[in-house]
Amino acid sequence: MRTLHLLSTEGGGFVPPSTKDFNYPPIFGNSAYATKPIFLVILSIILISIFFIMASRKAAVVPSRLQFAGESIYAFIRNDVARENIGHEFMRFVPYLFTLFSFVLANNIFGIVPLLQFPAMSRVSFPYVLALFTFIVFHSVGIRKQGIRKYLKDIMFMPGVPKAAYILLTPLELATFFIVRPLTLSLRLFANMFAGHLLLLVFILGGDHLLKGVIGLKLISPFAFAFGIGLTFFEFLVQVLQAYIFTLLTALYIAGALADEH
Amino acid sequence: MKRDEGAAWSIFGYLLSGLLFWGGAGYFLDRWLNTRYFLLGGLLLGAGAAIYLIWLRFGRE
Repeated sequence: MRTLHLLSTEGGGFVPPSTKDFNYPPIFGNSAYATKPIFLVILSIILISIFFIMASRKAAVVPSRLQFAGESIYAFIRNDVARENIGHEFMRFVPYLFTLFSFVLANNIFGIVPLLQFPAMSRVSFPYVLALFTFIVFHSVGIRKQGIRKYLKDIMFMPGVPKAAYILLTPLELATFFIVRPLTLSLRLFANMFAGHLLLLVFILGGDHLLKGVIGLKLISPFAFAFGIGLTFFEFLVQVLQAYIFTLLTALYIAGALADEH
Repeated sequence: MKRDEGAAWSIFGYLLSGLLFWGGAGYFLDRWLNTRYFLLGGLLLGAGAAIYLIWLRFGRE
């Protein structure tokens, strides 16, 4: 490690990527809200809107390629996520699930789009807010459908259990439904995007640094870049998968709240 | 198959809340009473309760 360090010092010491790489200075002025992640989120909303308006504007029986792409995403969310899991009331939730999926997906994929190259969901506040929406949606759906008393009773008291066991189990049910679910939902998305971005930074910046080193290090550099490119494809899979899991779990939580018995 | 995926995540959630809640209770009991075995007991109790709950929810059908 030390020799490697000595060999590479002619280009200046290597600064490994860290959490600092996730803090962007304001683009203009000194407002904390004028940073790159915020603009990426705004850009994602604009791009998603343009994409789906274009895809649905000239709807034809024989679809254009764009219409086909838009409809495939919509059909996937409606049929495979919403209808499959929620049951006959699914249509009410399709707009929310669809918006959620395309928003998370677009922002995740920004992580590997050249020049943008930052997944906004690796800043934890964005997943927190999305999980908060899901939290409000599935609890309010359950409370409206069953009334607050029955809804809470169903969560807290599982039928067919000796009364003494409720002392053990009730706190767990409450903690799961009100704390662990929204927390894991947001942290799963955040951690995946954060780790993925960091991983790409390590290999690409590392490859770049090796290229500036002596000849021996220059020869290693292509491997680092090749790995970085391979990981970029892998990241793409993770980004799509995480957007899907976020939407799927939201649908499952809604389904659980609608069901008469948990 | 999707249900299974959902079940996997809820099982994870139950285990986590079991460990956090009863383990946390044990931890604070330890700090309050200046002992050191309630944390372990709480963690075991929490894991046991969570597994019981998982069995109730997913294993009874």
